[in-house]
Amino acid sequence: MTAFGFAQSLWLLLAALGLSLPVRYAGIPLLAQGAFMAVGGYAVALLGPGGSGLPLGVAAALAVLLAAVAGYLTALATARLDGGQLALASWALAWLAQLVPTAVPDLLGGTEGFSRPVPARLVSRTLGVEVSLTDRVNLALAAAGCLLALAALFRLDRGPIGLELAGMREGGPLALSLGVPVAARRRAVLTASAAIGGLAGAGSTVLSGVISPADASPLLSLALLAAVLLGPARWWGPVPGVALLAVLPAGPLAVSASGGVPARGLLVALLLLAAILAPRLIRRGSLRQPRAVPEPDAPDLAARPDRLPAPWPDRPLGTGDAQPALELVSASVWAPGGPVLDGVELELRHGEVHALIGPNGSGKSTLLEVLAGGLDAGTVRLGGVPHRARTVTQRARLGVVRTPQQAALPPGLDPARQVALGARRWSHAGVRQLFGTPHSRVQAAELQAWVAGILDAFGLGRLAGTEVVRLTTGERQLLQLARAVATGASVLLFDEPAAGMTAAERAVLRDVLRLLADRGAAVAIVEHDLRLVAEVADRITVLDAGRVLASGTAASVRADRQVQRVLLGEG
Amino acid sequence: MTAGVLFQVVLAGLAQGAVLGLVALGFSLVAGVARVVPFAHGDLVLAAAFLAVLAVSGRTPTAASPSVLGGLALVLLTLAAGAVLSGLVGALTALPQPNLPHRHRGLPGWIAGGLAAGLLLRSAAAFTLPQQAYGLPDPLRIDALVPGGLLRLPGGSTVPVRAVCVLAIGLLVGLGVEMVLARSRFGAAVRAVTDDPVGAALCGVAGRRVLVATFGLAGLLAGLAGVLGTPGRAVSVGDGALLGLAAAAAALLGGIGSLRGALAGGLLVGCLQALAGYAFGAGVQQVVPLLLLVMVLAVRAPPGDRSGLAGRPVRQLRSGRSSAAVRQ
Repeated sequence: MTAFGFAQSLWLLLAALGLSLPVRYAGIPLLAQGAFMAVGGYAVALLGPGGSGLPLGVAAALAVLLAAVAGYLTALATARLDGGQLALASWALAWLAQLVPTAVPDLLGGTEGFSRPVPARLVSRTLGVEVSLTDRVNLALAAAGCLLALAALFRLDRGPIGLELAGMREGGPLALSLGVPVAARRRAVLTASAAIGGLAGAGSTVLSGVISPADASPLLSLALLAAVLLGPARWWGPVPGVALLAVLPAGPLAVSASGGVPARGLLVALLLLAAILAPRLIRRGSLRQPRAVPEPDAPDLAARPDRLPAPWPDRPLGTGDAQPALELVSASVWAPGGPVLDGVELELRHGEVHALIGPNGSGKSTLLEVLAGGLDAGTVRLGGVPHRARTVTQRARLGVVRTPQQAALPPGLDPARQVALGARRWSHAGVRQLFGTPHSRVQAAELQAWVAGILDAFGLGRLAGTEVVRLTTGERQLLQLARAVATGASVLLFDEPAAGMTAAERAVLRDVLRLLADRGAAVAIVEHDLRLVAEVADRITVLDAGRVLASGTAASVRADRQVQRVLLGEG
Repeated sequence: MTAGVLFQVVLAGLAQGAVLGLVALGFSLVAGVARVVPFAHGDLVLAAAFLAVLAVSGRTPTAASPSVLGGLALVLLTLAAGAVLSGLVGALTALPQPNLPHRHRGLPGWIAGGLAAGLLLRSAAAFTLPQQAYGLPDPLRIDALVPGGLLRLPGGSTVPVRAVCVLAIGLLVGLGVEMVLARSRFGAAVRAVTDDPVGAALCGVAGRRVLVATFGLAGLLAGLAGVLGTPGRAVSVGDGALLGLAAAAAALLGGIGSLRGALAGGLLVGCLQALAGYAFGAGVQQVVPLLLLVMVLAVRAPPGDRSGLAGRPVRQLRSGRSSAAVRQ
């Protein structure tokens, strides 16, 4: 392969590496990477030597910036879309990139596009250098870009950002409930991906000296997608796919999708089909293998709630001050059929387990939803201060975390990763981690120890690397709790944590709840298992038809005649 | 622009829009029932039309009108090809895929499958049909209805009879399908599966059969769009992707699952396209539906709307609660 062809393939690889960020890591089906390459290519042709005459370095930087802006705008415009809708929107963008230049020929050169002198010259008067960008120099630049991108992806894979993206990919609601700022991460991912695509487009254009609509074909976007999907979900994933595209005779560079050379379209179509069909054939049934049945008495007894590690030093659980941890004042929620919650007031205190009980439909889960920020009702005070965090994510970041109503257990993350997702710190360790600073290494080790400690405390240590689909119902429940506890939140809201648990698991749950309260957390549980409630609850609130029927210490509520009538149906 | 010219442009746009409406109808049906974005739907139209022409004439397509019998065969073959191809694409993309490996979470197999199917149709057709564009025969011989193919209007202006007929047939069939689906048992099943697949299954609706039938019906409509829309102009096998995106814009404008909406959306997109083409040239004409699509998606698609085509609709925490805003 000539230096030219090699360099071209490397620029393609760079674009594919950028694309793997949304597609592979964050689970965003972006189909417009070719369009972002086109933005970079056109920008460098228009602004650089032969165009507006800016120095090549400046023009390339502006090209990357423009592509990043395009990616950011795309993210803004598609912020509310689900996967399929985003795929559709970005597919339209991929076609626009090819059609717009022909629609405005005066500005973008029409079907001819632009040609620029080759080799381009990189000149800096301040530094006194002048480099001629021959094919070999360009190749070196492309290789450097690819290596940098690979290194970044490698570090990302292991760091907190990678965890957050995996959480987004595997389950949006889960990531939100653990405080991952999904919308912001999504914007960042699309912006970064587009910027990398823009750089690749600019580099490729400087190399060939030509940019035209044929270089921006939607087929290019599909080829990049196929390259990303063909490889495994690893940091080097796109490499085999791009290598295949480069080696196969009908490489996809500079092809127009309609007309042109049909062999390339066929090739990309087959690669896409192979990417989705092959793993299905290979892995058929592999998830169905039953897990080895554990020794009857070994596993659950391994739980050591007393070893629950202390929370992050800078993120104390409860502070144990006199103020209630969380106060809800006059919350009402209306449904078409009538009130679901009607003027409910509630206080959760540090160091207490607060049980919410009541018949089905009395509003318990809705109340928990309000406390967690999923529904906006009443006034919420945290530590005595009214606050404006009105979303689940914001509230999670303030230390109010709820286990989702329906078990949200993303099958693609093993228990250790799920707990780590809860435990990752809210700091900027993520960005530092990309550079592998010593501090970030210390933090990574701390995180690992903290995750292992929590898993052990819940008796899940031996399952740390198991596939989630093989966990029993009770183990899943415990995992959800472990995830929430790992966030170090000071207010924990659990919706029917004991459902589906064995007696041994229930004992673990009881001990953990007690321990959390003793360490100063404010714990609220919605629970039907009244024996468990009797064992752990310091305070009980009974709801009936959306109203607080009784609230107080366990003993006083138990003695309440009205409560007995509602719960047991006594005369 | 005189009123007469404007009228002609709008009429041509409406005719094109009626064809688009038929494609959008199928798009909307499939998106509603199967909860996937039928990325290959536009390609079905051209693949069906070209396949039928090749099957009947057996050589390079020409615009010469076939015999009456040949015309009939052509129509039936186009419809059949549309239905069969649609069924095949449906089997590839929308039938339940148990245990999809989780490395594909986030990029569901059907997105790549639909794109691959469309690309496969386009490039396979391009192998056998190397020219940039072809003229296709008109099995209905609409132009021969009146001498010169032009209807004279009072006041001296003329309109192409093709536009009038295509508009009429397209609207009649579209509204007919809409009416049948609104009244028939099959239509009820389609709506049930669209609204709630699990609930429909619990009520004894055979989801898989409804799915297959929906893909078949959408394919038939695509075939009809091929019969009506391809004659009288130069068509390329590569036009399918853009046609599909224009249909997506129309279907989304009308609201996924609303068939009348899809028809109306088609007419609107066709009209805007024709006007933009007249005012700014053919280059802009192609861009209009894409811009519309991006804008509609950005502005209209409500989060968690069940018509949020595709994939799992975002789970409503509790539906039907008025005062409660569900947020992230």
